[in-house]
Amino acid sequence: MNFHFSEEEQDILDALRDYCEKEVGPKAAEIDEEEKFPEEARKQLGEMGYMGIYFPEEYGGAGLTYLTYIAACETIAEYCATTSVVLSAHESLCAWPIYKYGTEEQKQKYLVPLASGEKLGAFGLTEPGAGTDAAMQKTTATDDGDHWTLNGSKIFITNAHYADIFVIFAMTEKEKGNHGISAFIVEKGTPGFSVSGHEKKMGIRGSSTSELIFDDCKIPKENLLGEYNKGFKVAMTTLDGGRIGIAAQAVGIAQRAIIDTVKYDKQRIQFGKPIWKFQNTQFQLADMQTKVDAARLLLYRAAQAKQDGEPHSHLAAMAKLFAAETASDVTRRCLQLIGGFGYTRDYPFERYMRDAKITEIYEGTSEVQRMVISGWLGNTIEA
Amino acid sequence: MEILVLIKQVPDDSVDIKLDPATGAPKLDGVTPVTNAFDTYALEMAARYKEANGGTVTVATIGDDAAVSSIKECLAVGADKGFLIKDDSFADSDPTAKAYILSKAVAKLEEINGAKFDIVFCGREATDVANGAVAVKLAADLCVGVMTDVIAVDPADGGVDVQQQTDTGYNVIGLATPCVVAVQKPDYDPRYPTIKNKMKARKAQVPVITAADLGTEADKVGAAGSLTKVLGLHEPPKREAGIKIVPTKEEPIAAVVTRAVGMMAEAKVL
Repeated sequence: MNFHFSEEEQDILDALRDYCEKEVGPKAAEIDEEEKFPEEARKQLGEMGYMGIYFPEEYGGAGLTYLTYIAACETIAEYCATTSVVLSAHESLCAWPIYKYGTEEQKQKYLVPLASGEKLGAFGLTEPGAGTDAAMQKTTATDDGDHWTLNGSKIFITNAHYADIFVIFAMTEKEKGNHGISAFIVEKGTPGFSVSGHEKKMGIRGSSTSELIFDDCKIPKENLLGEYNKGFKVAMTTLDGGRIGIAAQAVGIAQRAIIDTVKYDKQRIQFGKPIWKFQNTQFQLADMQTKVDAARLLLYRAAQAKQDGEPHSHLAAMAKLFAAETASDVTRRCLQLIGGFGYTRDYPFERYMRDAKITEIYEGTSEVQRMVISGWLGNTIEA
Repeated sequence: MEILVLIKQVPDDSVDIKLDPATGAPKLDGVTPVTNAFDTYALEMAARYKEANGGTVTVATIGDDAAVSSIKECLAVGADKGFLIKDDSFADSDPTAKAYILSKAVAKLEEINGAKFDIVFCGREATDVANGAVAVKLAADLCVGVMTDVIAVDPADGGVDVQQQTDTGYNVIGLATPCVVAVQKPDYDPRYPTIKNKMKARKAQVPVITAADLGTEADKVGAAGSLTKVLGLHEPPKREAGIKIVPTKEEPIAAVVTRAVGMMAEAKVL
């Protein structure tokens, strides 16, 4: 596999890095400290075309490759993990299922404003009693003739307060379990639909994480996304892509931690020399960079497979599992190398550590990734 | 409204550049060439003017092939057309010679565009040599009005009203068009390129205009046409360490402050 980007793609990624260097990075600490949604960056990224980077131009996107999108997620995460998840949840979890499963009318009505960055998207699957186990969800959608009526609630929804368009999962035939789930498109402002509260999180504190409540929420019949009772497949294939986005976020966070640690350690003098000169520092960072590069290769492999239309559930799971655990490990060790200053909030290292942790949890915990990978092993290797 | 924006490619001024002791020239290995920051402000102001009032924005620079990347950057953030003005004879031109070349270029570009330029936007100075002279000399060569340190340009009857930044605020001055404006940093930043515009700019052709195209006279360009020449470059002297004044039992704080104020008065910093 060749992961070299074309000159054009590299040019776009360089322009994004330049933007992040000037606009995203300098605001990351404030976004974290004040739990402030990165509204300005979201708007600018939309205007520049990054909120729909890999969707075809006829649907409002920039028409670039999926691999370029993933590299863009990674780049943004290097500067601000919050901003990267806003983009990733929007593109991977909301715009993509509409692109993949939507009717032409749905694409024109919802994908075009999403991909052009005019509107923001979100995805609602998790409930208090149903995260990984989607069939346990209590949200229902009943067929009331000329419309669907949704009742129930969703929790931990990224972008919740700021999103305009939501992809929501609900039981349409409870007794059928995973085969009784359907996906729907719900617009902000629909009567009976509300967003409630704000989760106070350990990391990615600027992202809006809230509860969605459906109280006799009536949505048009044509807002069924994909086939009736085939919502589980919509959710799982969407999460396969989402996991690649989160792996990209993890790689970006870890890479930034290493860069900042090397910079700091070259300036911090102890025992008469920069702490970078101690072999313990060098060897630890060498190990960390090797792990980050390995994670990046797994990430790009999964992205390339998705781009090429190849089976990639297990590849996405491996990329997310390894990248997330690498990010947690690397950020923890970087903080240790910085020492006392790293533990203070005057420096970004403790933020990197807090931001990294969520990548082991959302869009499928590391344990779920192991289930997916072992499931693939079991299915592909005969006794 | 036809607008021309003149830009210059310069070494990245965010990097600390040293002189090569052997040659006395700046060491530019590994320093990224960028579009002069003041020129990016000029382009943004021109693009906003065009978007509000209609017209086209043409961008041009005197430079070598590497300068094409700067022109393409401009094409991604508001310019409609770009031209490279390139000729070996233009090397070592000072502001007088450059203004002469650019005055010829203005005429040539007007011929190509089939329309006269109404406003020529320049940055107030280039961040490499910082002469800040080309815009004024160009206006003199073109026999048109010029205003420096411009932070806003608005349409007015028969011309434009410009805001010229001063130490205490700004002057509003009417200028008949055609005119030249040298732009200072306004209260906004240049836009970032959209992906679509960046891809379009990458594919754009940048025509090259040579001395032969311009009909420049050999003794008016390059070193021969320059009124000034660079005798040598020197790094600024290193700042000496300051004086630390610490109160002691013998010289308590009030006495120390009096002495410090006296020293500052003597140094004429107060």
